[in-house]
Amino acid sequence: MQEIRIPICSDTDIVAARKLGREMGTKLGFSSSELTLIATAISEIARNMVTYAHDGVISFAAVGTTNKRGLLIVAEDKGPGIADLSLALQDGYSTSKSLGLGLPGAKRLMDEFEIDSKPGVGTVIKMIKWNRRQ
Amino acid sequence: MVFKDTMHIGNLEQFEGTDVTPGEISKRKDFLQFRDADIERLLEIRQFSQEHVESIVEEFYHHLLSFPDTKEFFRDPRVLARVKKAQIDYFNQLTAGNYSDDYVRGRLKIGRVHQNIGLSFDTYLGAYRRYLESFFLRLFDAYRSEPEKAVNSFLSMLKLVFLDISLAMDSYLRTIRLQTEAIRELATPVLQVRQGLLISPIIGLIDTQRARQLTESILRSIREQRAKVVVIDITGVPLVDSKVANHLVQTVEAARLMGAMVILTGISPEIAQTLVVLGVNLSTVRTVGDLQGGLEEAERYLGYRLVKDDKATPFQS
Ligand SMILES: Nc1ncnc2c1ncn2[C@@H]1O[C@H](COP(=O)(O)OP(=O)(O)O)[C@@H](O)[C@H]1O
Ligand SMILES: [Mg+2]
Repeated sequence: MQEIRIPICSDTDIVAARKLGREMGTKLGFSSSELTLIATAISEIARNMVTYAHDGVISFAAVGTTNKRGLLIVAEDKGPGIADLSLALQDGYSTSKSLGLGLPGAKRLMDEFEIDSKPGVGTVIKMIKWNRRQ
Repeated sequence: MVFKDTMHIGNLEQFEGTDVTPGEISKRKDFLQFRDADIERLLEIRQFSQEHVESIVEEFYHHLLSFPDTKEFFRDPRVLARVKKAQIDYFNQLTAGNYSDDYVRGRLKIGRVHQNIGLSFDTYLGAYRRYLESFFLRLFDAYRSEPEKAVNSFLSMLKLVFLDISLAMDSYLRTIRLQTEAIRELATPVLQVRQGLLISPIIGLIDTQRARQLTESILRSIREQRAKVVVIDITGVPLVDSKVANHLVQTVEAARLMGAMVILTGISPEIAQTLVVLGVNLSTVRTVGDLQGGLEEAERYLGYRLVKDDKATPFQS
């Protein structure tokens, strides 16, 4: 499966990214509840992009070995970045008076979650969901 | 003579319910490089234009009537006579020298008329081109000895035409926006089931705008119908992320402040699991599995009770 990239800068793009994630997930054989977890994680990350970084790009790719397949999602923006990552990953921490569950929630929804952010440079999030039924 | 258009920067008036403001019009004219000199040039060809307008309009309608799609609009000869007259007025306005607020309003109104009769934007554009050809050929013929003048007048005319087209587009966009809003409105209905009890079945994706609309229409209905309980059913919602969940929680909270209780129904197993993993706290929200159960709970809360009355003889007088 080829890598697919989708630019994110509006609510409509968020919906499109979720849909794309579901489609790729379906091809990889994820169950319907796993697809919902994946789509929700995408939604959180994409919303953060629009809210805090104005825009960015999310790419999707199939990853894995012969006995393990998964969906890799990479979200990249050139926004303001996050100064204190461990704080941003805490439940309830928000600079916009919202729930503060996006980053920690996405981390729990996915199997692997890596975030790299530099103030003034931008934020890169890599997350993977493995398909356990293979 | 003074041709200056009045500038209205900072004026927040919007024309004809579109997003177009007087400031926006000045900006557009600026970018089109539509200046006083253009207005003068258009006025100079006013007489020429008036002399030819009728034959131009004849050619124009000959063109429209030779295509089945556009012919359809003018089946009634009275309609045809009326629109021909309107077209003559319009073409005369192009060289009348006044392109301020009233002109803009007029253009936007025409755009709305086109919408109402179902004239598509590409038909509008195609018809406009036909007009420009007739106009251009006659202009060059009339100014054979002064071709430069003809070119300049035509270029000034083009600026105005492009302004008109941009305004027509605003009218089309407005209609599309209204239709989208209407569909949204339809998709978030709030219905009264009985005195004091509202139900709001939500279908489809909840984006930020729709979430706000939903909150508003629920709160408005609570006030208007003096509701005590609202059942919000999200069976038809495929995904709830933390932002949408937050909207729901806030709606519940606001409803409570207005004296109404919200019962949330139809959370699918997938969404329930997702909300738990996300860590969304829904403990302040009363949830019931399905809509039926939600309505029963609401009626209990309101003091209604469904009883089977064995002695009742309903269909006898
Ligand atoms: N892409 C990003 N760019 C810059 N800051 C971000 C980005 N994503 C998240 N943040 C910061 O991390 C905080 C926590 O994010 P999140 O867990 O999604 O909670 P919330 O969006 O509800 O505030 C945000 O309030 C914001 O300050
Ligand atoms: Mg967030």
